[in-house]
Amino acid sequence: MSASSRERLGDAFSYLFMLVIFVFFAWPLLWLLSLALRTRKEVFLGVSRFIPKAPTLDNFAMILSSDKFLGYLWNALKLSSLSAIGCLVVALPAAYAFSRFKFRGKGGWMMAILSVQMISPLVILVPLYRYMAAIGLTDSHFGVVMVYIALAVPTVTWILKGSIDGIPRSLDEAALIDGCTRWGVFVRVILPLSTPGIASAFIISVIAGWSQFLVPFLLITREALTPIGVGIFQYAGTQNDSSIQLLAAACLVSVVPAIIAFLSLQRLILGAMTAGAVKG
Amino acid sequence: MTLQNATFEHHMVAGLARGRRHDAPRVVPWVLPLILVLGLFYLYPVFDVMRLAFMRATLLANDGTYTLSTLIETLSRPELGQILWVTFVFTGSSVVAQQLLGLVIALVVVRGEGRGLFGTTIVRTTALIAWVVPGIAGGIIWKMLFNEAPFGGLNSILRLMGAAPVQWLSDPDLVMWSVVLSNVWRGTAFSMVVMYAALKAIDPVLYEAASVDGANARQKLFYVTLPQLRAAILVNMILITIQTLNTFDAIISLTGGGPGRATEVLSLYTFNIVFRNYDLSVGAVLSILMLAISLGLALIYAVFLPKGDE
Repeated sequence: MSASSRERLGDAFSYLFMLVIFVFFAWPLLWLLSLALRTRKEVFLGVSRFIPKAPTLDNFAMILSSDKFLGYLWNALKLSSLSAIGCLVVALPAAYAFSRFKFRGKGGWMMAILSVQMISPLVILVPLYRYMAAIGLTDSHFGVVMVYIALAVPTVTWILKGSIDGIPRSLDEAALIDGCTRWGVFVRVILPLSTPGIASAFIISVIAGWSQFLVPFLLITREALTPIGVGIFQYAGTQNDSSIQLLAAACLVSVVPAIIAFLSLQRLILGAMTAGAVKG
Repeated sequence: MTLQNATFEHHMVAGLARGRRHDAPRVVPWVLPLILVLGLFYLYPVFDVMRLAFMRATLLANDGTYTLSTLIETLSRPELGQILWVTFVFTGSSVVAQQLLGLVIALVVVRGEGRGLFGTTIVRTTALIAWVVPGIAGGIIWKMLFNEAPFGGLNSILRLMGAAPVQWLSDPDLVMWSVVLSNVWRGTAFSMVVMYAALKAIDPVLYEAASVDGANARQKLFYVTLPQLRAAILVNMILITIQTLNTFDAIISLTGGGPGRATEVLSLYTFNIVFRNYDLSVGAVLSILMLAISLGLALIYAVFLPKGDE
């Protein structure tokens, strides 16, 4: 077999493999979409109506017209964007210090921060509840936002440090010689130049906040304050097989914002993530 | 938040004033907000969990005395062995499958990009979209796929092809593999991304040298690619092991741990002990058990990390 025909055979296998992988990853979401677009009658016709004969948006209308769901979505949006902003406020100065300053035990501190990341919220579940109840932060969005920040801030700090590492030090030094303070350098030089890193860190923490289940499940009992992660879980518990098309629509509604947020900055986010994972 | 920002600014101003006088930058004001948030809202509860594990506390009562009996009682629960075994099978098979699949997808995508094949970006993006799906929603989605009613997304395909339907979630011998499958669906993209980046970082000169020496594709894979990926694979395996160990939201909305205890992993068991039995002390002991496993893995991770210049 010649080299080029071997390459072409390889291409054929590659295409076959990619097709299988595509179907594996896409099928669950396509199926969800298909169910969400069906009428109650068509749901029970299975795969033969993968593309519904009478597609309907009624399920979405039903879900989105309930105040409950709009509330869930609004709460999730509020919690995840506030925590993402909070994350940046807390992580940016620290990332700058870790990138630029020389101090004793820096590597150790960076590792310590990363190892906090490895402690699942499940571990601190019990004391967290007692603690938050003691300081009156249950059923409060403020309390939840602070815990979200604590959960996401280690990763965000690492990502931002990586991004600031990429800005030449000579720019800092030039600004310092021109009479800028450290804070001035940070605000006028570093922040504008690390916008791509900041944007990806922001989106990563928004997605992390949107996906949260355990923390709001623990800390929020009032339905009016519940975000979508918990809301969809409780909704699924009250549904049965005869309303599966509604559950599908609700599920899609809860998933799509995270997907859109991710797709908006896909390349930047992947770059930021892998820079940390590969370099260590 | 406001309070912390105020302290933060106070320190910052003080730090800057000192900084101007003798040029060494103060580190503390820059990292203080981070330390405060992590300490107040995360680390303090971790220490509290240690204390709680040695008490007899439920949500209703706490007699305030310290005892080892909860610890001993928890660790000798008859179902714990089964739980740990389920956790091991779930975590082990998820991690191996995600690592292997992630590596193969990355290899094919890199090859496809080199050959200018169509669809590499589509495949990558599709896998990543599954990865962004929140755990609870992922569980709900797979429950619809595994459903044995006519709208079950897998059985209705099997039926169309004339095959017998499968009891994905009610057969106790099969259910674990269904759960692993759904977890692999959601988790593989992370490994794929890490493997892809690591593949891209391999010096092309190595491949040229291998070609000059007459190596074929398989030899290049085994003697160049895999040895070069060693560090990335180790780091990735440890990261996804910790992630998988902590996964319970995708299981709770898919099987709820059942049938029986067939898919009740340690994290879900802890969740149930706290939220169903309201037993805080036992929950705390289980939390420490999870913490110990995670920290053990984190230590291994630290050992394998490349030593930085700082």
